[in-house]
Amino acid sequence: MAALTSRRRLPRLGKASPIRPRYLPTLLVLPAFVVLLAITIFPLLFTATLTVLSWELTTNAPARFVALGNFATVLFEDSRFWNAMRNTAVLVVVGVGLQVILGTGLALLVNRVRRGRTLIVSLLLIPVMIAPVVAGFQFRMIYNDQSGPLNYLIGLLTGGLWHGTAWLADPSVALISILLADVWQWTPFMILIVLAGLQAIPEEIHEAALVDGATPRQQATHITLPLIVPVIVIGILVRMMDTFKLFDIVYQLTAGGPGSTTETIAYYTYLQGFKYFSLGYTAAMAFIQLAVITIVARVFLGYQKRTQNRGSL
Amino acid sequence: MSGVRRVVPGALIMIALLFFLFPVVWMVLTSFKTQTEYFANPPLFLPHSFDLKNYVNALAFPPDGRGGLQGLRDSLIIAIGSTAASVVIGSLAAYGFARFRTGGENLSFWVLSTRMFPPVASALPLFLLFRQIHLLDTHMALIIANTVFNLPFVIWLMKGFFEDLPMDLEEAALIDGCSHFGALRRIVLPLVTPGLVATGLFSFIFSWNEFMFALLLTRNEVRTLTVIVPSLVGGHEILWGEVAAVGTIAIIPGIVLATVLQRYLVRGLTLGAVKS
Repeated sequence: MAALTSRRRLPRLGKASPIRPRYLPTLLVLPAFVVLLAITIFPLLFTATLTVLSWELTTNAPARFVALGNFATVLFEDSRFWNAMRNTAVLVVVGVGLQVILGTGLALLVNRVRRGRTLIVSLLLIPVMIAPVVAGFQFRMIYNDQSGPLNYLIGLLTGGLWHGTAWLADPSVALISILLADVWQWTPFMILIVLAGLQAIPEEIHEAALVDGATPRQQATHITLPLIVPVIVIGILVRMMDTFKLFDIVYQLTAGGPGSTTETIAYYTYLQGFKYFSLGYTAAMAFIQLAVITIVARVFLGYQKRTQNRGSL
Repeated sequence: MSGVRRVVPGALIMIALLFFLFPVVWMVLTSFKTQTEYFANPPLFLPHSFDLKNYVNALAFPPDGRGGLQGLRDSLIIAIGSTAASVVIGSLAAYGFARFRTGGENLSFWVLSTRMFPPVASALPLFLLFRQIHLLDTHMALIIANTVFNLPFVIWLMKGFFEDLPMDLEEAALIDGCSHFGALRRIVLPLVTPGLVATGLFSFIFSWNEFMFALLLTRNEVRTLTVIVPSLVGGHEILWGEVAAVGTIAIIPGIVLATVLQRYLVRGLTLGAVKS
């Protein structure tokens, strides 16, 4: 079904080509360029100017120039910001880690299925295609401590010794509950792309190894693993970037609570901007997030460039 | 031994299927339950009957006065509008990048990098801009926001599809006197149609599932299904059955398209970084 990226180098109409049109290349790209420029560069510049202002829409006080004051406050005085950063880091490291481990394991299993694989993959992929807010709603029902199926199941399995807890209201587990909902939604994504990596390994390599007397274990560690690692890395990078922006599920499940125990950085920024209307402060936080995500994005883009230039991962 | 080897993987896959499908199945079943059924303790798995009362209530008589049908309409208008816009603008640009390397590698990678932009960082400036030009709470606001966020995706995916086509056909058409635009319309577009459809369906789903911009840029006049679901959960009395009905309606396009799009999912979900 799948083949790992193998892009033939295509002859392109170079500058010298007599059939290269003069204006068409620019005209084709222009509309997209203008739209993206207007809607990304404008917010960027606007946000940049906001960062140096103290501008509270909730009061009638005029905007005040504070230079780098907003950044200083965010980074050195706002423990709620660091709390949100830590929560986000837990979701990125532990959550994405779980998705990778579970996803790779399940992909290896599904890869061995001979009949009905398409159906299994289709069914496994349903969580990925669901709106995160709806996924959040599903878990609201499942985690419900009165009539939810999770606590009922726990009661059954422990023979009535433990009846679970209030998964979303208990500060010690609320973040884990969010993490599990996210793992539920995105593990299938990892299954899917690891599976694509596995199926791109040509059968002949395994046959050749078999002829040379390689044991199954040797085949796994010397053939399968090295060949799927690049795909897994791409999966990790995509998931890291998305998890860093995690908002919908938090909004739906806990609204950052209890207290601020489950606030992610995206959710806290939303609160500052759209509940407290601290424009300058929000802009400063937005810029810090931009800086963090740029680092991950650069690695991802580097991978993409390598794919582009070498013809394969 | 070999029996165990064969049974264990199968059993694990079954457990995985159960785990990944249960929350969805539970919501769909809840959408048919009456109030006493969904508050039952111990929880009731199957509803007594599969009547559509919750669906009728949620669609025709939304608990908060606005919802259901309006949400369905708004979600459709926005998803179709932004899909059309991003596919048209995006494919043209993708063709330029694929065939003429417009702007070189840097421009196309700049386009891709705009996709990584955290939405929450651009939400505030967009909000203030749209307020200034009176676009808040309109379909157009969300069509624009979603188009911008889908454009890099469409461009990169379509760029890959165009690059997969051999150049020979276009060159033959050009030599036979076809214009560049004619070659694009008569030769390239028909060949790239499956990719175009897949890309379009992806952007449809992304817009359909989008929540943050819908929450921040619209309020009363326009309310997508993704905004309605949490708004119904927030109140003191949660109408689980009705919300589950809205949720079930909201996930139908995704499930249908997951099946239709299976061949393209890997490519789509990794922005073309991994191809199938």
